[in-house]
Amino acid sequence: MNETRADMEADPEVAPEVLKARFGRDIARDFDLDDPMFNDRFDEVLTFMVNKCPISYSKAGTGYHLVNTNEQVRRVAQDWRTFSSAKGYMPNRPEGLPYLMPEESDPPMHTNWRHKLNPHMSPKVIATYEDVIRKDCNVLIDTFIEKGECEFISEFGALLPGWAFFKNVLGVPIDDLAMLVEGVEQGTFALPAEERPAHMARVFTYLDTHLRWRATQPKRGDVIDTILEGVIYDDGTEAPWDHKVSILVDLTFGGIATTTFVMSSAIHYLAMHPEVRQQLIDDPSLIENAIEEFSRVFPPVIALGRTCTRDVEVAGTEMKEGDFVMLTWGAASRDPRAMEEPEKIDIKRETILHSTFGVGPHRCIGSNLARLELTATIEEWLRRIPEFSVREGTAPVYVTGFLRSMRELQLVWPK
Amino acid sequence: MRVKIDGEHCTGHGRCAKYAPNVFILDDDGYNADRSNEIDVPAGEEENAKRGMKSCPERAITLVAE
Repeated sequence: MNETRADMEADPEVAPEVLKARFGRDIARDFDLDDPMFNDRFDEVLTFMVNKCPISYSKAGTGYHLVNTNEQVRRVAQDWRTFSSAKGYMPNRPEGLPYLMPEESDPPMHTNWRHKLNPHMSPKVIATYEDVIRKDCNVLIDTFIEKGECEFISEFGALLPGWAFFKNVLGVPIDDLAMLVEGVEQGTFALPAEERPAHMARVFTYLDTHLRWRATQPKRGDVIDTILEGVIYDDGTEAPWDHKVSILVDLTFGGIATTTFVMSSAIHYLAMHPEVRQQLIDDPSLIENAIEEFSRVFPPVIALGRTCTRDVEVAGTEMKEGDFVMLTWGAASRDPRAMEEPEKIDIKRETILHSTFGVGPHRCIGSNLARLELTATIEEWLRRIPEFSVREGTAPVYVTGFLRSMRELQLVWPK
Repeated sequence: MRVKIDGEHCTGHGRCAKYAPNVFILDDDGYNADRSNEIDVPAGEEENAKRGMKSCPERAITLVAE
């Protein structure tokens, strides 16, 4: 294991020509999140990076550092004064993409909003959505159970998180979900990246219109009313309208673009591992721990970025003021310095330490909702469809950038 | 056993309260209600408390005394 930049440079396994021969590129010094090789060899690359490259570098666009170990990711994520979110979390951010609040801001502005929004997403409040979410799992399963087959993503995985979020949190009809999912997906993965802002613009326009309409309606006391009410920033000014819209976009983005991947990956894993499926059926109390383990190894958010506010050293690498640095959550969650046998998927793991919901003040605000969706899905799925497998001759289709997503998963079960 | 909850670094992951609900209490935002305080771990809850502590992605809970 290498701890610093100097260790890495001295390691023959990390020599540029060795990496080029093994991965087709020098992933220590010329990594690219958008490289199809990363999508295809995801686990292998993350494991290599966390073990061998405490810090790697990408020459994509204007370039960015990647911090890969559990300890250093935590240090950087917690030190928001040195590593700012105010210039955005995307590397090589396309022109014309508005910043998302509160995710792309720092304290105290960030704190003002989180104090207002947190109560809507607390474990207590989220728990009141359980019956609706469980019922929705069954409504979706009813649509395909008798066929003995489904394409999991389009028939369940991409729908349930959107339904859960729209019905319980946003209070908007689910009719427009498909358009928003498409906008968010294309806004994230479309290549060339210059096309992404136009897709995100559709999402902004839709949610702006919705927010304007809600401002004319009687109050419901929900998160939308809280956003409309706004906050006063520390300089005494009121949060402007575009910040309010971007909060709604940020919540929606998180609500529909992430949980699907953990859910689909967990179902895929259970399709491939009947013995684990049986353990969960025999003892449903294991499901909670299993979900943490699945969240650890199937992270939808691979890495998010910060901008250095001053010159700083991380793991023996000099970073300059203005440098962009990605926190590789996905690598930090499989760090052998912080856990035993990280490459092994073990639903009975005693302690599960992971960074899938981020670290630091920007911790995923929807983490409690995501966990509830995952619990309801696995419990209801195993109750209704205890035996299932991946359709022979098919395999899941993935797409990866700074997020990872599954596009297709064909399942079959006895009718 | 005594533990201390870091006031700045708790960000509401809620893992501590999941593994040791009799030790760690969450406030209405889902953050540790004892931020910046030391708390006594009730007898018999030590293992749960340690599990909660080790699962904290922020490392915001530290052991003060065994």
